Amino acid sequence: MGLLTILKKMKEKEKEMRLLMLGLDNAGKTTILKKYNGEDIDTISPTLGFNIKTLEHKGYKLNIWDVGGQKSLRSYWRNYFESTDGLIWVVDCADRRRLADCKRELDSLLMEERLAGATLLVFANKQDLPGALPSHDIKEALELDNIKSHHWLIQGCSAVTGENLLQGVDWITNDIASRIFTMD
Amino acid sequence: MLITKYVTPELSRDLSCLKMADTGDVCLEEANVTGKDVNFTQKKIHVTERLQRRNDEREADIEKRKAMKEEKSAAHESTDFFIEKFARTKNELERKLEDETDTASASKADQLLYCDTISAEIQKLQKFLTDSTLFLPSFEVQKAQAVINKLQNDVQQKREQLVPRKKFAFKSKKKQTTDKPLPTKAEHKPDVSQPNETLRNIDFCECNFKDLTSQTLTKGPDDLNQKDVALSKLTDCTVKLYGTPGAIHISSLENCHVFTGPVSGSVFIEGCQNCVFVLPCQQLRVHSAYDSQFYLHVTSRAIIEDSSRVVFAPYNWSYEGLDEHYVVSGLDKSRNNWDDIDDFNWLATDVHSPNWSVLEEDKRVKCWEA
Repeated sequence: MGLLTILKKMKEKEKEMRLLMLGLDNAGKTTILKKYNGEDIDTISPTLGFNIKTLEHKGYKLNIWDVGGQKSLRSYWRNYFESTDGLIWVVDCADRRRLADCKRELDSLLMEERLAGATLLVFANKQDLPGALPSHDIKEALELDNIKSHHWLIQGCSAVTGENLLQGVDWITNDIASRIFTMD
Repeated sequence: MLITKYVTPELSRDLSCLKMADTGDVCLEEANVTGKDVNFTQKKIHVTERLQRRNDEREADIEKRKAMKEEKSAAHESTDFFIEKFARTKNELERKLEDETDTASASKADQLLYCDTISAEIQKLQKFLTDSTLFLPSFEVQKAQAVINKLQNDVQQKREQLVPRKKFAFKSKKKQTTDKPLPTKAEHKPDVSQPNETLRNIDFCECNFKDLTSQTLTKGPDDLNQKDVALSKLTDCTVKLYGTPGAIHISSLENCHVFTGPVSGSVFIEGCQNCVFVLPCQQLRVHSAYDSQFYLHVTSRAIIEDSSRVVFAPYNWSYEGLDEHYVVSGLDKSRNNWDDIDDFNWLATDVHSPNWSVLEEDKRVKCWEA
């Protein structure tokens, strides 16, 4: 048909996905990334800049971009939006006080035109902490039910223990695959 | 011979057999029935029957397939069928859209929900069109696409009537948020100015210490073991945590002293003034802190952001059982990066950040319990 089809076909050949992992600082983005990669999570420093990891999962090549979440870095997030297939939003569920900030930042991302086609996975992280809010509370706090513009899922998880990390990435790869790779 | 009309590769073997039978036939007439010939005749009848049967089967099969194909293509792959079904769905959707205008009495939420269902149906229609592009002439495709676009616009308009999109306006004050009035198609409710109910509720529960003045607050190992601690809005307080918390969130402290045992995870501090923190942790993040001191043990890295006049020294609190608590927390006692701080507002590497410094040795407090 058109250029879009050609691009899709090219992607299909490569089976490559670009996932962008964002969230407020101290949410656990880098820890999640390192956990996926089987690296040591005890020595992680606050991210000054970004990390990229390429993982093989279910025959797909996942390029995961983890960009620092400090306030001073958030204005640079937009530089990473281009051609993002999936957005992973990480929430520190024990940080009740900043949930309003968290919602505001997520809302502004969802308005972003360049992320319009991206699938949204919300990781309700730090479920290992006893003071963490359960994922359905996070869902309400972030008003995820109002999102009509993106496919989304919220997944409670713990980056430290690794709980539910795989389920999350399974869902997002399946969702992206069904959108991009099966269209003919 | 009728049969030869239907020669296929699979039949050719039988056909050669039949030719043999034909020659046999000639022999039969000439030789006037010998025992051998009887045998031959039987064979011939047998072969002819078999061929006839096969031919019948094949013909039936062709008929069946033809019928099936006709049925299928007629049902789903003809332009007429498409046009008819498309028009039907379109009319239905238009009727639904008009219905909605009448039901002004229904609540906003209901109407929005109604909009959503219509959107979903339009998407289904779009899918149907996309699937049908294979056999449709491009004129029909374009015509149908125009109809779908119009329907989508109508729904969008309805939605905007219900929930008006934010109007663009320059604000005199620069907002901190990055959100801007976007002309995107993102179908999002505009933010309600006050935070929603859930947010307000959870803001006030389960904080360990909150809204206190001039007090000494202590907690023992049993209360703290791998739990997360929150300190918020304290003034002139001394907080002592004898144990191994999993994480600590600190906000809005003034003139406070905070002492903790080893924290397995991260410590997050925001909005502090004239405070002293004495803590070991895996990771430290400090935001908007002024005139504060940190006696720190950090195994990975500490960072500061939007802070100034903060000073750092090595951790030097001690209490009975601290060594055990180090083991429980999993912190490496031999690795301490207390004097290597990243300032997110100072990215130059060759010049030291003006926002933080190392506390000179003679100015450090040697003993806290006095």
